[in-house]
Amino acid sequence: MAPTKGSSKGASSGGSHKGSKTSNFSSDSRVSKSSKKNAPKRPPPKEVKSKARTAPENLQKKKKRKYTEAELNLPKLNSITPVGVVKPKGKKKGKTFVDDSEGMMTILAMVNAEKEGQIESKMMKARQLEEIREARKKEMEARVAEKKGKLEAVKDSIRNKKKGKGASDESSSAVSKSSGSKFSKPKRKSVSFA
Amino acid sequence: MRQLTEEETKTLFSKLAHYTGRSLNSLIAPTDGGQQMVFRLQGSRVYYMPLALANLATSIPRDNLLSAGTQMGKFTKTGKFRLNLTCLDVVAPHARYKLWIKPNGEMPFLYGGNVVKAHVGRWSEDCPEHSGVIVYSQDDTPLGFGVSARSTQEAKKLDPTGIVLFRQADVGEYLREEDTLFTT
Repeated sequence: MAPTKGSSKGASSGGSHKGSKTSNFSSDSRVSKSSKKNAPKRPPPKEVKSKARTAPENLQKKKKRKYTEAELNLPKLNSITPVGVVKPKGKKKGKTFVDDSEGMMTILAMVNAEKEGQIESKMMKARQLEEIREARKKEMEARVAEKKGKLEAVKDSIRNKKKGKGASDESSSAVSKSSGSKFSKPKRKSVSFA
Repeated sequence: MRQLTEEETKTLFSKLAHYTGRSLNSLIAPTDGGQQMVFRLQGSRVYYMPLALANLATSIPRDNLLSAGTQMGKFTKTGKFRLNLTCLDVVAPHARYKLWIKPNGEMPFLYGGNVVKAHVGRWSEDCPEHSGVIVYSQDDTPLGFGVSARSTQEAKKLDPTGIVLFRQADVGEYLREEDTLFTT
């Protein structure tokens, strides 16, 4: 028991001593421990809310960013609205009337100029076509004349050949032909039967 | 009844310019008395009238207004413009190309036929094909209008029965189309 007492005394006395010692000692150890142990004891950083969650600003839905079709890089043929149908955004709806005479005059001048140009080009085209036609016609005529000339030449040559053969009795034959074939024919017959 | 939009004005003028020359300006230019002539659209039909008349016409409900001024023609549903016979009196003084038909050709034309070469008295030189032509009788009365089938050069070589002008409107329509001419 004594040792226990003593020990207790000693412990008490020693405890005080120890306490001072440990205090010194533990202070160092505590410092090192304090960072770990004291952390939960500190008041946690409070969330500072300027406005309540139910404040009208927070209740409204935040606008999500909308991507335009151009940003999405979608292939044009795959999009929902056909290519030609999309109307330009931000353009004013409705018709724009032309009522002042100046506006009418400008439109008229534009239309007139366009029309004149068209007619001019038409005339030019017609003229060119006409030239081509004329040239073709001339060519055809020349070809026909050439053919005729050739034919005439051949005819002449044949005629000349005939002339060469019957040059001796040309005059007599001509006379006989002009006088008539009635006289020449009976002569031949008489010769054949004689 | 309303004014024409820019596009409609352009369509209308390009059709009118098909038949008329540069003097088309005088159609919309103010006259000597300071009277301004305007085009107005009622339904699909286009009317030509003095501005004062157009202003008066605003007091009549659209549904009740049948006609005002001279009817020039109508817009088709595809957006083209079709000239009506009634515009002849407006267009004829400014004609670009003209064709006078002989007295023996007047009746065939007024019954709705095309103009054949045998019936042509004389016509403007330098007329290209498919251009608007106003048809006159020998005493310079406008009888109608149409589109040239051939250019003047080509038509010279044509045989007498060959068509030189396709009819589009003639004054005979006032009788033939009496019932439908002004219906909307």
